Amino acid sequence: MDTIVDILNILLPLLYGGLLYLYGQSFFKSVSRTNKIKTVMLAATVLIHLMYLLFRTVLFNPPPITTPFEIMTVIAFCIALAYLYIEVISKVHGTGMFVLIPAFLFQVISSLFIRDLGQVPEVLQSNLLGFHVTSALLGYTAIAVGAMYGILYLMLYHDIKSNHFSVIYKRLPNLEILESMSFRSTLFGFIFLSIAIVVGLIWLPIAFGQIFYSDPKLIGTMFIWMLYAVGLVSKKLAGWHGRKIVVLYVSGFIVALFSITFVNFFFSSFHQFY
Amino acid sequence: MNLLSIGTNHRTAPVDIREQLYFTEKELDGAYNALLKKYGFKEAVIISTCNRTEIYTVADPFTMRYGDLFDFIVDRKGTREFTKPEYFYRQFASGAANHLFRVASGIDSMIIGDIQILAQIKDAYYNAEQKKTTGFLTNRLFHTAFRVGKRTRTETEIGEGAVSISYAAVELANKIFADLSKKRALLIGAGETGELTAKHLKSKGIGELLVTNRTRKRSEELVNRIGGRVVEFEHFLEELGKCDIVISSISADEHIIKAPMMHDVMKRRGAEPLFIIDIGVPRNVDPACNKYESVFLHDIDSLQNIIDKNLSKRKAEIPKIEKIILEELQGLFQWYKSLQLNPTISDLRQMFEFIREAEVEKHINRFNEADREMVELVTKRIVNKLLHTPMTTLRMSNGDPQDDTLSHISSIRKLFGLERKE
Repeated sequence: MDTIVDILNILLPLLYGGLLYLYGQSFFKSVSRTNKIKTVMLAATVLIHLMYLLFRTVLFNPPPITTPFEIMTVIAFCIALAYLYIEVISKVHGTGMFVLIPAFLFQVISSLFIRDLGQVPEVLQSNLLGFHVTSALLGYTAIAVGAMYGILYLMLYHDIKSNHFSVIYKRLPNLEILESMSFRSTLFGFIFLSIAIVVGLIWLPIAFGQIFYSDPKLIGTMFIWMLYAVGLVSKKLAGWHGRKIVVLYVSGFIVALFSITFVNFFFSSFHQFY
Repeated sequence: MNLLSIGTNHRTAPVDIREQLYFTEKELDGAYNALLKKYGFKEAVIISTCNRTEIYTVADPFTMRYGDLFDFIVDRKGTREFTKPEYFYRQFASGAANHLFRVASGIDSMIIGDIQILAQIKDAYYNAEQKKTTGFLTNRLFHTAFRVGKRTRTETEIGEGAVSISYAAVELANKIFADLSKKRALLIGAGETGELTAKHLKSKGIGELLVTNRTRKRSEELVNRIGGRVVEFEHFLEELGKCDIVISSISADEHIIKAPMMHDVMKRRGAEPLFIIDIGVPRNVDPACNKYESVFLHDIDSLQNIIDKNLSKRKAEIPKIEKIILEELQGLFQWYKSLQLNPTISDLRQMFEFIREAEVEKHINRFNEADREMVELVTKRIVNKLLHTPMTTLRMSNGDPQDDTLSHISSIRKLFGLERKE
């Protein structure tokens, strides 16, 4: 199984690179003939990536969430999975390149530096934690994809509004579709973030005994959650949409990015493991 | 290749001349008859559209003259006094084929990448085919031209992007809205471009079309032509809040939609996008309306901007198309070269010999050593005798222009599957 994991570790960046090439071709040259091949290849890559993660889990037990490079391959997987879902639902094939760039980069870095596991802190050896981290990552990547579609929306919006009809105008789908992709992806992310928060709150007293409700990490996370909750509810109830709500999705993601990097490294008392 | 062509188009002749040289469907009957019977051409196809009239013929190599084709056109159309010879371009063999391929690809059109021209060439060819004036050379030539047309559309982006105001407006609508069938459009005024835009929106399945004009009668006439519902001009502002697309092309001295009016409209619409196409000159809509976040206001200049960009993108595709044309020209001439007599005779002989050898080899062991030589000899003789008459006939007709030697060779290559060797 060792060899299989090693082979997959080399294969995955190549697969993502191939996908990036195909999607790039269709964005810049609008080759629609490859649409079906792209989706099938994407689904196959996601499946192979899932196998890789499962093999790693079986081989090294706990799940691959204990080092930054393990997290990175999981993030790449989550991005690809979230995008596959959006593509199948929306049947829009032209935007994959933008989403797959981060997936490809994460996977390349992970494949280069990932090592077989040695010592794992005891606090991290928990299946409940695996569940927490997986849904948190899935949630964050989905809101990242949502924000990415939000940015594409804003770019196209600007193009149309200012009579500047660039390649963005030519290749992107329409504003309504971009908005709905941004919304769907953000909703998907919101659901998984909610699960991650609930599981985290259950795991926290088990792991540490003592609960730190005033921890900046917890406050930050709850703030992000509230921001998205308000956004999603106001879309439903107050009929908010268009540029305003897209700006909200994008800013929600920026705050989230701030929370998982800056707050985590400098302020958090318990959410630091690496 | 005795392919001879003559033609006139938007680059060589003014529109009043082109109009006069246009062949109607009725006129084509007699025209084809004259080309073949009176002028003695063997094959002919006439392409006649509003922008060009071109004739492709296969002529007798010893008597062919461009003057005949010029005479034919001016006499047929009765335009001799005012049609100058320099209005026409004349091409021969590969020049004629190259020109036809350029026309079929759309790069010779007035608007580069025009997709109509390929259909017009097809119609012209099928018309000639019906009148039995096409032959083995024009058949091959035109089918290659169709392939050029098809390839340019699938392998390049020559036909992409709107190049007229009305299409640019619809293209823009498609970049804002996902599903036009759920949208409502309002057409203000009954100008030509406005009507065309409304027509395109209809063909793209717009949910509902409202039409308003200062004179109700003109709105009604327009609705009768393209469908939709008439709205009184005095009440169009009330409808504005319920519409997603507004096309305004009325002649008015001042803005008919002013920025303060939009306040109420947008209050009613919330964040729903409103796409306003202002094709009136002077402009019908106050440019300040664009300050509303969900209003997309575009006037004739911004639509022209889209068209200019699309046209320059189309122009950038021309080298790719010229490569396709070159490939197809090479294919055509390779085929034509294979129609020479000697290669065909040797190909045919080789094929027969190949079959003979294979059969002999398969069964040779059934014969005594002594008989084997005899088998070789007998089978060779059979092959020679089978080939003797057709070969002699072909050789005798070679060089005689009255005989359709090329056509015979073409048939033989087709019948015996020698075309694969091309």
